[in-house]
Amino acid sequence: MSEATQLADATSSRDPAVGLAAVAALRALLESLERLQVDNARERGWNWQQIADGLGVSRQAVHKKHGTRRLIGRRS
Amino acid sequence: MFNRFTRAARDVVLRAHEEAAALGHGGVNSEHLLLAVAAGGDLPPSLGIDEESLRAAVKAAPGDELDGQALATIGIDLDAVRRSVEESFGPGALTGRKRRRRRAGHVPFSASAKQALERSLREALALRDRNIGPQHILLGLMSETDRGVVQALRSCGTSPGAVRAAALAARREAA
Repeated sequence: MSEATQLADATSSRDPAVGLAAVAALRALLESLERLQVDNARERGWNWQQIADGLGVSRQAVHKKHGTRRLIGRRS
Repeated sequence: MFNRFTRAARDVVLRAHEEAAALGHGGVNSEHLLLAVAAGGDLPPSLGIDEESLRAAVKAAPGDELDGQALATIGIDLDAVRRSVEESFGPGALTGRKRRRRRAGHVPFSASAKQALERSLREALALRDRNIGPQHILLGLMSETDRGVVQALRSCGTSPGAVRAAALAARREAA
């Protein structure tokens, strides 16, 4: 990681290409973490309302985004 | 787009699926397509890239598209995030590798792989070739902005620019 950090320091932090790439990477990381946590909550029997409250979003939003994904061991 | 793919190009796509599945990666990335091109014997021999060292390089990659370098620019250590997530949820949790592996046979194409295949169509058009063959897929993969490909090639001591030049040179020789 130190190599990457040096690289980051070497590049101007005001360079839009660097800044936008960081935002895109952060969004991808966020999506991965959200998927992981929502799936875990569902496996533990949390309902959509509880998950929505945890994420601070509406139940409709979380259900729309994650409701269609099939979970392990819940194959119907 | 796929109706323009030659039989050999379709084989590359199928092979990329198999390579990704065999490595336990959750998706087919551009580097799996590169590996499939190599496995089909379609890398320019002048590069001297060994298929097994390429496979080892792809295997060592995390198999997802998270950009540790870009995250480091805002002070996020992706390796640290990965470690702490895997501590609770097991290896490959962040990539969804473990979860997806259970869905038998389904390995989706990643954005990087899709973009590379789209570029292969543009490469064929630019070369005025009617159909898309393994060579066009190879050229489509050679983007400096494709991290998976760049890293895999770097481990083999080469770069997208060098592969591209060698592929075009081999093409001229064959003509």
